[in-house]
Amino acid sequence: MSQRLRPQRSVRFSTGSPAQRRRATLLVLPALVPAVFVVVGGVGAAALQSLGLMPLVGPGRLSVDAYTGQADDLFRALGLSLTIAVASTVIAALVGMGTALLIVGGRWCGRIVAVTSAATVTVPHLVGAASVGLLLADSGVLARVFGVPPELWPSLVGGPWWVAVVAEYAWKESAFIGLVVAGTLITRVARFDETAALLGAGRWKRFRFVMLPLALPALAISSTIAFVYSLGSYEVAWLLGRTYPEPLAVMALRLFNSVTLTARPEAAAAGVLTALVSFLIVGLCFWALRKTAVWR
Amino acid sequence: MTSRAPVSPAEMLARPVTRIRLPGDPGSTLTRSRAPGRIVRILSSVLVAGWFLLPFVPLGLWAFANDWSFPDVLPGEWGFEGAGSAIRQGALPALGNSLGLSLVVAAIATPVGAMAARALTFGSVPWPRAVGLALLAPIALPPFAAVMGLNVILLRAYIPPAAGLVLVLVVMALPYTTSTMRVAYAAHDLRYEEEARTLGASRWNVLWRVHLPLVAPALSRAAFLAFLVGWSDYVVTLIVGGGEIVTLPLVTASMAAGIGNDAAVAALSLSAIVPPLVLLALAGSAWPRRGQTTNPALRSRGEQE
Repeated sequence: MSQRLRPQRSVRFSTGSPAQRRRATLLVLPALVPAVFVVVGGVGAAALQSLGLMPLVGPGRLSVDAYTGQADDLFRALGLSLTIAVASTVIAALVGMGTALLIVGGRWCGRIVAVTSAATVTVPHLVGAASVGLLLADSGVLARVFGVPPELWPSLVGGPWWVAVVAEYAWKESAFIGLVVAGTLITRVARFDETAALLGAGRWKRFRFVMLPLALPALAISSTIAFVYSLGSYEVAWLLGRTYPEPLAVMALRLFNSVTLTARPEAAAAGVLTALVSFLIVGLCFWALRKTAVWR
Repeated sequence: MTSRAPVSPAEMLARPVTRIRLPGDPGSTLTRSRAPGRIVRILSSVLVAGWFLLPFVPLGLWAFANDWSFPDVLPGEWGFEGAGSAIRQGALPALGNSLGLSLVVAAIATPVGAMAARALTFGSVPWPRAVGLALLAPIALPPFAAVMGLNVILLRAYIPPAAGLVLVLVVMALPYTTSTMRVAYAAHDLRYEEEARTLGASRWNVLWRVHLPLVAPALSRAAFLAFLVGWSDYVVTLIVGGGEIVTLPLVTASMAAGIGNDAAVAALSLSAIVPPLVLLALAGSAWPRRGQTTNPALRSRGEQE
């Protein structure tokens, strides 16, 4: 298999004949042009707006007021967004790794875990937020089941600790991470696992020296995707969070819909900051994984 | 995994052994108790499945609760008033819009992503790394940030909201379709196509009879992921759609932001969960599992990963 693949891979880095290059370029362009337009155009236009160069009315004027004028709010929102994203991603990575191990373990246990996590992945985040709200609110299903009156129920929804928001992200993203990691493990882990067991490795050693190293690149990538998703997501924090302090996305959308004229650049500034942090984190993940074969 | 015997050799050998066991050693791994490991395994499976299923519980209860006063653990009166109220809020046209939007996004993002993946895998694309990164970049892009900027461009270019919405959602789906198809094409053997060409098949015939059937399972996976991107989106539809295109998440959000709509919110949520699950079940039959496919080209995919 690998001998057959290698020549094909080397072709990618060779120049090829002009006709081949033209053909390959034509095949890539329908995807590349819209992607570049949306990513560069979107962030670029947001950056121009935040710098006052693309006002809704009147001539543009370069200024960094949108950043300096609300620096405190921006940093508070960034801190909150990062905290929520870190908390939910850590939980999601732990649960997701466990999910992957159970799925890879096979038999009916693995089958049930695979089916439930696949069902969770298909749920839109907004629907997840609505259900977590119905579950965790002070008159929610859990409060009813435990018979706790609303005044004694901890304020999980809209409370100071953002529990419901973190729980929703952790729930959805753990299913995503679990399936991605299981997908990479299931193809190759059986043979390595059996070999290690044959050589006398116990459960812990097989996890530590076989499963974990094999799973780590996929775990890192899926966790990074989950992290930037929670960082840039709006609807969950808007529905289940409180109004102040607010995460970056909620702050940006509130300013975006505000009637004040200065609000648009401020909204764009929050967007640009979120985009920069997201790209920085994904870049760090790429850099950390540069020596693995994941990106080929 | 499905074709395995109930207890595999790995499982029997997985007992904690302090040193390598050799034939003729006293005792046997077969006689050791397998109970503790099994119990831990079953318990953790139940816990994880419960973690995934728990948020579905309130939806299932609330959607069919006409009346559910607070301290009661179960609804006092069952019925379909929640669904009725959701329909009065425009759930049916929103469902249609959601389906249409997601299908259009999948119909565009899947072939476009597949073509790019094929060119990146086999072709000689100039700067393949940069192109690959550019196609993955939308995954790192916070959607609200992109559409806040794009909205102005799209408005000034007089692009209709529906077209702008499809454009942005297709781009957000491209990382998923492209990477799914790159994995598939990495295991795809071009010699099948060359063989068919040698035997006199036209390019069109090769595409329809050889190439597409071989990558069909991956295409269905990619299309499902692209469908989910359109189906789950809220913020792009909100901003780029500009209120003209009302999808299911938009109706659900406006109901969930109010108070006392719990039954309607649950009914809307259920209707947003069911279509992807149906698609998943349909696609599930097409997804290859180890030991189930007879096609060597498909089976080899598992070996290469």
